[in-house]
Amino acid sequence: MADLAAGRTGTVWRSRGGEGRSTRTLRLRTSAVLLTATVLAVLLVPPLVRLDQQAVDLAAKLEAPGWDHPFGTDDVGRDLLLRCVYGLRVSLLVGVAAALTATVVGTAVGATAGALGGWVDRGVMRVVDALSSVPHLLMGVFIVAMFRPGVWPVVASVALTHWLSTARIVRAEVLSLRARPHIDAAVSGGASRWRVTVRHLLPGVLPQAATAAVLMVPHAMWHESALSFLGLGLPTHTASLGNLIQEARGSLLAGQWWPTLFPGLFIIVPTLAVAGLAGAWRERINPRRRSELML
Amino acid sequence: MLDLRSVTAGYDKRAPVFRDVSLSVAPGEAVGLLGPSGCGKSTLARVAALLHRPDAGTLHLDGTPVRHWRHRAPREQRTAFGVVFQQARLSADPRLRLADLIAEPLRATGRREGAAGRVAELAATVGLTADLLTRRPHEVSDGQLQRACLARALVLRPRWLVCDEMTAMLDASTTAALVRVVEDYRAATGAGLLAVGHDRVLLDRWCERTVDWAALTAPTTPAPTCPPGTNKVRRGN
Amino acid sequence: MTGRAPVLSVRGLSVRFLMPGGRRVAAVTDAHFDVRAGECLALIGESGCGKSVLASALLGLLPGNAQTAGRALLGDLDLLAADERTLARTVRGRLIGLVPQSPAAHLTPVRTIRAHLEETVAQLTGARRTRGALRPAAEAAAERAAFPVDHLDHHPHQLSGGLAQRAATALALVGDAPLLLADEPTTGLDRDLVDRTVDELRRHVHQPEGGGARSGGGRARALLMITHDLAAAERIADRIAVMYAARIVELADAAAFFGAPGPRHPYSRGLLDALPDRAFAPVPGLPPELGALPDGCAFAARCDRATDACAVLPPLRAHVACHHPHAALTEAADRA
Repeated sequence: MADLAAGRTGTVWRSRGGEGRSTRTLRLRTSAVLLTATVLAVLLVPPLVRLDQQAVDLAAKLEAPGWDHPFGTDDVGRDLLLRCVYGLRVSLLVGVAAALTATVVGTAVGATAGALGGWVDRGVMRVVDALSSVPHLLMGVFIVAMFRPGVWPVVASVALTHWLSTARIVRAEVLSLRARPHIDAAVSGGASRWRVTVRHLLPGVLPQAATAAVLMVPHAMWHESALSFLGLGLPTHTASLGNLIQEARGSLLAGQWWPTLFPGLFIIVPTLAVAGLAGAWRERINPRRRSELML
Repeated sequence: MLDLRSVTAGYDKRAPVFRDVSLSVAPGEAVGLLGPSGCGKSTLARVAALLHRPDAGTLHLDGTPVRHWRHRAPREQRTAFGVVFQQARLSADPRLRLADLIAEPLRATGRREGAAGRVAELAATVGLTADLLTRRPHEVSDGQLQRACLARALVLRPRWLVCDEMTAMLDASTTAALVRVVEDYRAATGAGLLAVGHDRVLLDRWCERTVDWAALTAPTTPAPTCPPGTNKVRRGN
Repeated sequence: MTGRAPVLSVRGLSVRFLMPGGRRVAAVTDAHFDVRAGECLALIGESGCGKSVLASALLGLLPGNAQTAGRALLGDLDLLAADERTLARTVRGRLIGLVPQSPAAHLTPVRTIRAHLEETVAQLTGARRTRGALRPAAEAAAERAAFPVDHLDHHPHQLSGGLAQRAATALALVGDAPLLLADEPTTGLDRDLVDRTVDELRRHVHQPEGGGARSGGGRARALLMITHDLAAAERIADRIAVMYAARIVELADAAAFFGAPGPRHPYSRGLLDALPDRAFAPVPGLPPELGALPDGCAFAARCDRATDACAVLPPLRAHVACHHPHAALTEAADRA
């Protein structure tokens, strides 16, 4: 085949439409590099750089970014780069833990409602609708207020307000899968209800649930920051990104921009990187190579 | 005997897809059900294969009245049917390799031992090569995937086959090949067949008896849904 | 046959896909054929033989990992060399009207048929975007495809399969394109509807229309229909091109192909013999993978006429690519 198709003398192959692919690759690579850098910084900087992020240096308070302090210092002279890295560490922990919890809860609820259908589905979805009508932050504030400040109440507060959307997504996906003939075929092949749910429905919704979970990590970080900014999240001495921004409020009005800008960037950059990766991943996991071959 | 009597079924109790349809298939008999697309014959096929609970009417399976459908139906009743659908792409779990797809009913019913041998044997019957068995649905053509779906329908040695537009998307050669597989299986086991389709030439050639959907529904409902190609709007609102 | 210049002239068209891992899949190899005005060429073959890829190549709709070679001349324009801008502005709709595979999915569900037609008329004919000018033009376009004017305000889901097909055909005809390209227009339709659809397509090919939405209309069209439905092909086609494993293996007159003396390539014979109103016997075996084609004749492994000669790829000679073709009408054609 090769000798005739490709090797024929004078065969000039043309291609078109390569640019979509290369921008996609660029986006993927940029996101991957940024996210890797973030995670490495969080994991490696604290053990390697044996500096105290709490070290107060009143002689060097509110210094602008420079050689000694690349991100500048805060109002008691603590190094902002170090504070940001530690803050990101806490925020990422909260984000990942909350996203995982919310996804597990949401998937379980959504899959149960979708797979069982009938009155179970109707009842569960009414509850979900009712909870969704309460503003997230308000409910989050209630949950945090019931406990002493700390990491886990914040995780619980974010997780318990964010499983609703996952439950909706998973239920809708299960319902659409359930109507497909391959589920009919499984039923006819003697599969039990449990087997249909676990072997045929759940694996089909996992890509969606996983994408939702990944996208929820930055969202949960934002939520943590918002709670901390309101003074309801983590204890004020803990360096979380929300606490850092909250502390910087006063200096921003005085014209010192760096204590606000850098923690803000530490929230935005991982958010964009995660969104970019999740988008690329979603394109990849869809088994649709076929359409490229057009068989 | 597969005996449907005065069946009314649909997806909304207030507006059933069809009313009061009766149809029976004798053991070992091949019955073709001919009708235009969208008229409800697929729903009837699903009722017959215990996959869709009718709103009214009875279904007798070898003299036993069927009281439950889908998961509520006893497993022996459900697995007495092998079902093949029109769109192979939608009737295959996209994550399963073809070998696992064919073996799935064996695993679901706890007959793992000897599954590999049974899959190899059926793959040869439907004309799938060993290489194809290792692929996932998106890596094979529609015709090859439908061959695998037919193998899956036969793997539990059903007494009844329900083929719902099995060959509507396939080319002539694959159609002839799949029909031959079904007929060889029926000749060997004496299974009954309900073949649903819209191609009279094909059904007449394939089945001993071809029933017109219009004749089944005519007495009660004059023209319920969509006679072929008429300029009639299906749902006016 | 008619002596008219071809509307579409395909010369050595090849398409290959670059797959991950450097694998190459030859989806179309060295296709040569012409389609003339007033003529319907049906391209038939099993699913996965590359016929849809050929259609996409003509429309410039191949995915990014595809490469093309050869020429596809539509008048003076080489479709394979044209850039996206040319294809979008002068080819699609204006030079090639596409009759899609599943019309219901091809139409936007939230818009009425009238909105579809008016938009297309405004785009393709440059008619002023005023209600007064568009309305009659859209209604004329609907009439040409025998779409009932009183159904123009319906949405796609309210139409029967036959009407949706007519709506799609009406859209394809708006630009008065010299070439109609129908990609599996009958898939999933029942037999009566298949007959009706191909009869209507045939009418647009054979009957030059006077009047119409534009002045000076009334030339015959060329139709390239891609299908796996042999009965539909028999009903509509003047000529048949049989595709197998990425190559056109036979080009034949439709009457001779479906009647006497019948197809010349053993694969074409096998396809016809598989019809339920003929022998109903399948071609043994499976078609080869496009990514792993044999060096010689790709059909040899399934062919009862195969000999050692088949280890060499047969060229398309006298309209058939086979070392042992069945007898032609005249022996002269065999040696041509």
